[in-house]
Amino acid sequence: MSSIAPALPAPSQNSFRATLAKAGAIYKRDRRIATSYDMAFIIQWLQIVVQVLGFFYMSKLVPPHGRFPGFPYWLINLGFSRFQMTALQSFQTAIRGDQMLGTLECVLVTPTSLATVVMSPGLWGFTLTAVQVLLYIVLGMILGVDFSHTNFLTLFVFVVLTIACMSPLGVMAASTIMTFKQNAPTQFVAGSAAQLLGGVLFPVALLPVPLQVVSWLLPITHSLNGVRAAIMKGASLADPTVGADAIWLVCATAVLMPLSLFIFSRAVNRARRDGTLGHY
Amino acid sequence: MIVVDNLRKSFPISYGIIPNIKYRGRIPRREILHGISFTVKRGELFGLLGPNGAGKTTLLKLLCTLTTPDAGTITVDGIDATKHPIAVKRRIGLCSSEERSFYFRLTARENLEFFGSLAGLSGDYLRKRIEHVAEVVDLTDTLETKFSGFSSGMRQRLTMARAMLSDAPILYLDEPTRAVDPVHAEQIRRLIREELVDRQGKTVILATNLLDEAWALCDRLAIMRRGTIAALGPPKELDASYARLLRYQITVDKSDEALLQRVRAVPGVTTVATVDVPGGVNVEVEIEPTNERSVTELMRAVSDNGVTVRSFTFDEPRPMEVFTDITQAGDGDE
Repeated sequence: MSSIAPALPAPSQNSFRATLAKAGAIYKRDRRIATSYDMAFIIQWLQIVVQVLGFFYMSKLVPPHGRFPGFPYWLINLGFSRFQMTALQSFQTAIRGDQMLGTLECVLVTPTSLATVVMSPGLWGFTLTAVQVLLYIVLGMILGVDFSHTNFLTLFVFVVLTIACMSPLGVMAASTIMTFKQNAPTQFVAGSAAQLLGGVLFPVALLPVPLQVVSWLLPITHSLNGVRAAIMKGASLADPTVGADAIWLVCATAVLMPLSLFIFSRAVNRARRDGTLGHY
Repeated sequence: MIVVDNLRKSFPISYGIIPNIKYRGRIPRREILHGISFTVKRGELFGLLGPNGAGKTTLLKLLCTLTTPDAGTITVDGIDATKHPIAVKRRIGLCSSEERSFYFRLTARENLEFFGSLAGLSGDYLRKRIEHVAEVVDLTDTLETKFSGFSSGMRQRLTMARAMLSDAPILYLDEPTRAVDPVHAEQIRRLIREELVDRQGKTVILATNLLDEAWALCDRLAIMRRGTIAALGPPKELDASYARLLRYQITVDKSDEALLQRVRAVPGVTTVATVDVPGGVNVEVEIEPTNERSVTELMRAVSDNGVTVRSFTFDEPRPMEVFTDITQAGDGDE
């Protein structure tokens, strides 16, 4: 061991740049850990190929009709509903992972805001999901799906709104983990709700009216409505139906985002009070 | 400066959904810390000792803002730790005793990069700091090794490196030499005392179960017992205040029963024993520390007999005895 040299001058950072740097560090950590599991990393891409091919051949049995446009409907829904699953999983997975590894206390003893700690794990998750959705699109093009009508602005807005609206639900799930040290059943509940009521596998219009009302309350319904309209019809945000879905998502985000951060902050404060931050 | 004032902390007696239902959301709590107060001066090496369950870890977690007090305050350089935890976190570095506090799939460098970034470091400065602290704890050659490949001692040294990474003025060290081999443990002790405290002027709170380490390194010690501070002061003062017996070794050229009788007659002497040594006899004497004239009387008793005194040495009180006296005082009454 040698002695420490005189302290080096620390670079000054404003708080926004510092927050970005910290979020970047969390992104880099998650990417490094995810890619270190090389087999699992490769298999998840193969699963997408298998899933797309499976639905492609299944669509041969269900010819397109008025309410169901066939394979493109499934392809778009399956691809873009991944953003929902990522939003629901990534935050709670990160918190749970830190609990299990014993790193949570060491992260929380750094001068990093709770919002940065809980929200940043989404960066790697959403980046990976975006690339995976690109794979869905490429496979779709190979299998003959026409993306030439896509309105990219509308599509981009709906992807952003999907992430913004779904992430608070994931943060709330992370709050459950912080309090009860158990995985919240959000993946099962939201996954089931999306497939049954959110229009992922079949059009919502096929459901009885009471279930259509429930479906309207789910963010995934509005998210997929907008994405499908942007890709299949080239609809702009000025389109009344698309606009209504976008406004629904904006309003939900405005309510859910602060609420979820408040709930997470309460959960962390409770864990601090009870001395359970390091428990798992 | 760290000021802890009348700190109280309790934890629920159980956790989980079912106890919450059973107690209708108001699970009874057990008080762990009962109104602790002390001050740590800037540039001081302050030791925190106590038997298991005394509240050392709870106190460290409160100091790190990882848990919040029920009552009382902690101020760090004038900043209230409960009201402004982020500002306090900018001033502290933590070396935890928890082995599982790094990402197993990342290398030592990647781990330090991550925690350094969260501490607000970046770019060249961060890279240089990583090189520095790795060199200081002798891990330069293993920076590219995954944490999962580290031994327990290497993990502890990496924890020490992380604590020093941000060059924080205050360090909380929880058993920094736990599981570390003797050579590196001694280097860490010298690093803490000579480099971090004496040269750089950092304030260090050292929680340890190694009494000799605490006695040798610390400016002052707080010995905790059942959620209170049972004794507080410099090691020498604790020795003087709490040592039950003072031990002297007198080597003389010869010894007889008359000499031993006179030694036994000295006020406060409790035990006298002799051991033959080459060229003479070693007389071991234990004296109660209450009588100020005992030592003078002892020297006179030995020298009056016409024997030649070859050496007269005072054995330092054993930290274990002082610690035991402090932490077990009053146990018989309970």
